[in-house]
Amino acid sequence: MSRFFANGSDSESESSEEEVQAPNFNKASAFQFSDDEEEVKRVVRSTKEKRYENLTSIIKTIRNHKKIKDIPNTLSSFEDLTRAYTKALPVISKEENGITPRFYIRCLAELEDFINEIWEDREGRRNLSKNNTKSLGTLRQKVRKYIKDFEEDLSRFREAPDQESEAEDEEAHVSDAGDAADDSDVGFKKELSVTAPKLAKSAPAKVVPADDDDSDDSIDWDSDTESETESSEDENQYQNMRERFLKRSTEKGEEKIGDEEKRKDKRKEQKLKIRKRAEDDEDGEWETVVKGHVVEKPKMFEKDAEIDIPLVLAKLVEIMSARGKKRTDRRLQIDLLFELRDISDQHNLGVPVSVKIHFNIISAIFDYNQKISEPMKMEHWALLLEVMQSMMKLLLANPDISISESVAEEHEEYAAAPFYIRGCPLAAVERLDDEFTKLLKECDPHSNDYVSRLKDEMNVVKTIELVLQYFEQCGNPNERCRIYLRKIEHLYYKFDPEVLKKKRGEVPATTATSVDVMDKLCKFIYAKDDTDRIRTRAILAHIYHHAMHDNWFQARDLVLMSHLQDNIDAADPATRILYNRMMANLGLCAFRQENVKDAHHCLVDLMVTGKPKELLAQGLLPQRQHERSAEQEKIEKQRQMPFHMHINLELLECVYLVSAMLLEIPYIAAHEFDARRRMISKTFYQQLRSSERQSLVGPPESMREHVVAAAKAMRCGNWQACANFIVNKKMNTKVWDLFYESDRVREMLVKFIKEESLRTYLFTYSNVYTSISIPSLAQMYELPVPKVHSIISKMIINEELMASLDDPSETVVMHRSEPSRLQALAMQFVDKVTNLVDVNEKVFDMKQGNFFQRGNMGNRGDRGYNRNQNNQGGNWGGQRRDNRNQRNRNQRGHHKNQQQQQQQQVQTIDEE
Amino acid sequence: MANFDLTRINCQYLDRHLTFPLLEFLCGKEIYNQQELLEYILETVNKTNMIDYTMDTRKRLNLSQEMPDELVQRKAEVLATLKQLQNEVAPIMKATDILKNGESMKDSKTFVNALQKDYNFKVEHLESAYKLAKYLYECGNYQESTSYLYFCLIVMSPNDKNYLNVLWGKLAAEILTLNWNTALEDLTRLRDYIDSANFSTIQALQQRTWLIHWSVLVFFNHPKGRDLIIEMFLYKPLYLNAIQTMCPHIMRYLATAVVINRTRRNALKDLIKVIQQESYTYRDPITEFLECLYVNFDFEGARLKLHECQTVILNDFFIVACLNEFVEDARLMIFETFCRIHQCITISMLADKLNMKPNEAECWIVNLIRNARLNAKIDSKLGHVVMGTQPLSPYQQLVEKIDSLSMRSEHLAGLIERKSKQNNKESIDSWKYY
Repeated sequence: MSRFFANGSDSESESSEEEVQAPNFNKASAFQFSDDEEEVKRVVRSTKEKRYENLTSIIKTIRNHKKIKDIPNTLSSFEDLTRAYTKALPVISKEENGITPRFYIRCLAELEDFINEIWEDREGRRNLSKNNTKSLGTLRQKVRKYIKDFEEDLSRFREAPDQESEAEDEEAHVSDAGDAADDSDVGFKKELSVTAPKLAKSAPAKVVPADDDDSDDSIDWDSDTESETESSEDENQYQNMRERFLKRSTEKGEEKIGDEEKRKDKRKEQKLKIRKRAEDDEDGEWETVVKGHVVEKPKMFEKDAEIDIPLVLAKLVEIMSARGKKRTDRRLQIDLLFELRDISDQHNLGVPVSVKIHFNIISAIFDYNQKISEPMKMEHWALLLEVMQSMMKLLLANPDISISESVAEEHEEYAAAPFYIRGCPLAAVERLDDEFTKLLKECDPHSNDYVSRLKDEMNVVKTIELVLQYFEQCGNPNERCRIYLRKIEHLYYKFDPEVLKKKRGEVPATTATSVDVMDKLCKFIYAKDDTDRIRTRAILAHIYHHAMHDNWFQARDLVLMSHLQDNIDAADPATRILYNRMMANLGLCAFRQENVKDAHHCLVDLMVTGKPKELLAQGLLPQRQHERSAEQEKIEKQRQMPFHMHINLELLECVYLVSAMLLEIPYIAAHEFDARRRMISKTFYQQLRSSERQSLVGPPESMREHVVAAAKAMRCGNWQACANFIVNKKMNTKVWDLFYESDRVREMLVKFIKEESLRTYLFTYSNVYTSISIPSLAQMYELPVPKVHSIISKMIINEELMASLDDPSETVVMHRSEPSRLQALAMQFVDKVTNLVDVNEKVFDMKQGNFFQRGNMGNRGDRGYNRNQNNQGGNWGGQRRDNRNQRNRNQRGHHKNQQQQQQQQVQTIDEE
Repeated sequence: MANFDLTRINCQYLDRHLTFPLLEFLCGKEIYNQQELLEYILETVNKTNMIDYTMDTRKRLNLSQEMPDELVQRKAEVLATLKQLQNEVAPIMKATDILKNGESMKDSKTFVNALQKDYNFKVEHLESAYKLAKYLYECGNYQESTSYLYFCLIVMSPNDKNYLNVLWGKLAAEILTLNWNTALEDLTRLRDYIDSANFSTIQALQQRTWLIHWSVLVFFNHPKGRDLIIEMFLYKPLYLNAIQTMCPHIMRYLATAVVINRTRRNALKDLIKVIQQESYTYRDPITEFLECLYVNFDFEGARLKLHECQTVILNDFFIVACLNEFVEDARLMIFETFCRIHQCITISMLADKLNMKPNEAECWIVNLIRNARLNAKIDSKLGHVVMGTQPLSPYQQLVEKIDSLSMRSEHLAGLIERKSKQNNKESIDSWKYY
C-alpha cells in the first residue's frame, strides 16, 4: 500500500485506464483472483494479462503440434498467434514500451528452428504427406516473412537465452510431458505458472514499477476516488481541453512539450473528456464507447520512438483505416487526429504532414454525422471552420504544396518540395457550405439562434474566399469554376446599395461593387466551364443579381440570350428553384423599372399555380389530395431555401396583382361586349370574383382586398380612390417599404394608375360623349396635357378608341355609332366563327409543326424569350390582341394587301 | 455634332481602304480638327502601299514637297514586287485571255480543265494570282485587282483556305471601284458562303458584323439596296441578332432605310419593336424620331428630332445622299399619323410641326390632296384642314370581318388540299414499290 501512495500520482494514468476497462471482463476469467481477495466484488485483470494469456496458450498449442510434426495445425496456430499478437500490440506498446515480450520471441525462434530442421532433413521431407509438404512451404514462407520484423529481438535472444526463460522452458517441457488428453487441465495449470514469471519479468520494463498483485487492490480503490474527483472536475477539464485544442491549432510549435508526463497528462484529460461526453451523450452511444473502443484506444507512439514523417503517416493511415467501419468511435478518431496533429507540430514535421492531418480531421468531422439529412453539432461546426481555415492558410502560405485529387496515394510526397498530397479542399469546402445551410435550416428562423448562426456566414464566406484564392493560384479552370460558383451562391442574393449609388454617380465609378465581382466570376465561368450545370446556375445567379440591382436591361438580355426557358424543365430541382427565384426577382425588377407588362410575364408562371411558396422552396404547403410520404417530405425539406434568402411572398403577390390590375382593368373596359375576351390573369380574376361573391364588402384589410378594392375603383376610372387603395399606410408597411427606393416606386405606381384609369375611363364612358375636351381630362387625371394627348393618340392609332382629335378646339370627337341589336349579335357570331378558324389554324399548325401565324413576333422570337412565354400560355391574351389589332388595321383598306403579302412572306420564310 | 458621329465605330469594322472615303468625307465636314484628321489619314495610308496617296496627303499637310528617301525606296520596292508577281502570273493570264474568247469559258470546271490540259496550270499559279491581286489592292489598283480576283474565284474551289479572303477582297475592290451591281452580287455570294460555312458561333458573329458594315455601303448606293437592306437586317434573324449584340449603331441605317422606303411601311412596326428593345444600348436622333412619332405620339418631340436628324444625316457618309428623301418622307410620316388621329387641323400648327412655313405647308398639303394621297379638304377661311374620315359603321366592320374570315379559311383550305395531294402522291409513290 505504501508503495502505491508513493507512486500514486504517476500510476493514476495507468490505473484509470484499467478502471475503464474493468466492466469489460467477464466473471469467468476473473475467478483466479477472487481467491486472494475477499473484499473485492469484481476482480480486475488488465488487458495485458488477458492478451498474454491468450498468447501463451497459443504458443503452447504450437509446441504440441511441433512435437507430433503436425505441420498444417502448426500453420493455423501460427496464424492465430500472429493475430493474437497484433491484438496485443497496443497493450505491449503501452506497457512494455514496445519491447516484444521475451516468450513471444522465444516461440518465434523455436518455430524458426523447427522449420529449418525439417527443411534441412530432405529425407524426412520426402516422406511427408502431401498435405504436410504443402503446409510446410507456406509456413516457412510466412514465418520467414514475419520474423523479419523481429530480427533484432531474435538475434538478441539467440545471443543470450537467459536463465528465466530456460526455467520457463523446462516448466513448459514438464507440462508438455503430461498427457495431451487432459489438455485443459494442463493448460490451466500452465497459464497460472506462466503468468507469474512473465509478470515479474515485464515489471521492470514498465514506467511505473508497480507490483501487479498489489495493484489489483489499489486499482479498485483508485478508480473510486477517480470517479469522484472526475465528476467535479469534468466541467473544468473539458473547458480546458477545448481551449487547449484551439490554442494548439493557432500557436503551434510555440511550446515544446517533449517529456512524457505532460503527454500522459494530456492523454488522461482527453480520456476524461471522452468519458464525460459519453456520459452526457444520450443517444445510446454510451455503451459502445465504454465497451469497445476506449479500451482499444492505442497509445500514440512509444515513448522513445523517434517521431518522423513515415511514422506519423503510418499512424494516420492506421487511424483513418478505421474510418467508415461500423464500430469505430468517430469522436475518438477526431480526438486522435488532433493529438496526432499536435505531435507532428511539436516535432516540426513540416507543413505537408500538417496539411494532410488537417485534411483528415476535416473528413473525420464530416464523418461524424452518419445521417446526411441531419446537421452537425455546433461544437463540431466551430471546430470544422477552425480547421478548414487554418488548413487553407497553411496551403496559401506554402505555394510549393499541391493538393489535389489527381495525386495518387502512392505518389504523395511529404519530405521534399514540391510536395504532393492527395485530397480535395474543394470538396471539403463544398461540403462545409452544405453543412452550413443544413445548420441554418435546422433552427427557427425567427429566433435569435438563427441570427447568431447566420453570423457564421461571414466565416463561411471567408473560408470560401481562402479556397478561392488557393485555386486562383493553382487550380485548373474546372475547379475554379466550382469554387467560383460557391462564391456566387453566397453573393447573388445580397443587396449592395453601393451599386445604386454608383449608378447615380454618388460614389466614384471605380468602386468595386458586388455587381462587378459577379460579372468577373460569371464571365470566367461562361468562358471556361464545360459542365452545363455550373454555367446555368451562374447565369441564373447573375440575372438574379442584376435584377436585384435594377439592371433591368442587362438582366433581360441575359435571359433572352441564354435560352434558359427552353431547357430548364430538364434541370435538377435545385436549379429549377433557382430559376423560379430568378424569375420572381426579374419580375420585381421589371416592376420597379416601370415595365408592368414584363413584370406580369415574369410572375405569371409562378403565380398562376397558386403555390409560389413551394415553387420558390420557401416552405411546404399541406397537400389536400395525397399525403407526402415521409421520404418525399424529407427530400423536399432538403431543398428548402434558408430563411435569409427568402423572397417576400406578399410583396411578390402584391406586385403581381397590381400589375395584373393595371393590364386587366383597361382591357376589360375595352372589350366589354367582346365574345373573344380572354383573361390576362387568372389569379387576378379569382380575387375579383371572390370579392364579388361576398354580400357585404367591408373596408379592405389584407393586401389582396386592397388590390381588389383598387381594381373596382379603377373600373369606374376613379384614379384617386384607386391610388389611395394601393398606396397607403397599411400597404406601405406591408409591401412597398420593402423596396429599396420605395418612394420612387410609389410615384411610378400613381403615375401608372392615373394613365390606366384614364384609359379605362375613356373606354367605359366614350359612348356617352360626343366629344371630350383634352384639357379637362388632363385636369381630371392630374396629368400634363401632352401626356393625355399622347395616350389618346395611341388609343386612336391602335383602334381601341373610335374617335379622332379636333385640333382647333382641343377635343376628342367620338365616332362610335352604337351597333343595333342585330348587328351586335352578328358581331358576336362572327367572333365565334373567327375563334373556330383560329382553332383550325392552330390545329393545322400543330400538325405541320410550324407556327407561322405567330411569326409576326418573329424578330424577337428568335431570342427565345417570347416564344417560350407563348408556349407557356402567358402571352396568349396579349398576342391575340396584337393579331387582332393588326387585322383591324388591315381593314383600313390600303394596308390590307401589303399585310397579307407580308404574312405570306413570313410564311414562306418559315416553310423554308 | 461629334457625339452622333459613327465613323470611329464604323471604321473598326471596315477594311483600311474602305475607311479612306469616310475619312476624306469627314475632312470636308469640319467636325474634327482638319490637321489631326489628315495626320491620321497619313498614318493609315502609310500602312498600305499607296505611295501616291501618301504624297498627296503629305502635300495637304504642308510637309516638305520633297519625297523622303524612305518613300522613294518603298516605291521602288513596291514596283519591284509588283513586277515579280506579275511575271509569275503572266503566262496563266495570257492563257486565260485566249480561253476567254473560246467556248470553255462557260463554266468553271471546263475552264479549269482546259487550263490544266493545255497550259500546264498548277496550284502555285493560283496562289500567286491571289497574292498579286492582294498586292494590287494594297497599291490602290482596285480595277486590276478585281480581274485577278475574278479569275481566282472561278478557279478556286470553295474549300480553299483563301476562298473567303478572295470573296472579301472582291467585295472590297468592287465597292472601291463603285461597281455597285457586281458588288451586290459579291455581297450575296459572300453572305451565302458565311451562312453555310462552318464557323464557330463567335466567328460567324464576327463575319456577319463585318458583312453588315460593308453591305451598308453597297445598299445605300445600289437602287435595289433599299429593299434589300430591310430584308437582310430586319428580317434575317441571324443578322438582326448580330446587330443587336455587336453593333446596335447600325439601327441608324436600318431606320433611315425604312423611313425612305415608302413601299415598306409595314416594316416600321417591326423596326420600332427592335428600336425599343435596344433603346438602352443605342439611341440617336433618327431612332428617337421614330420612337417619338410611333411610340409616344409626341409630335413636338418628333419635330425637334427631325431637325436634329438633318444634321446627323448631313454628317454621315453612308446616308448623306438620302437627306432630302429622308426629310420628305419623315414629314409625310408625321403628317400621315396626324391625319389618322385628327379630323381637323390648323395649317399653322401643322406647318410648325413639319418645320415649314405656313404657305409652304399649305402648298404641300394641296399637292398631297391633288395626288390623291390624302382624303381631305382645306378650309381656307379658318385655315383648317378637315379630314374626310368617315367612321366605320358596324355594318362595314361586320362585312370586313367576314371578308377576312373567308380569306383565311380559303387559305387554310388551300393548304390542306395541297397537303392532301402531296400525301396522295406519296402514297401512290410508295405503292409503286410493292
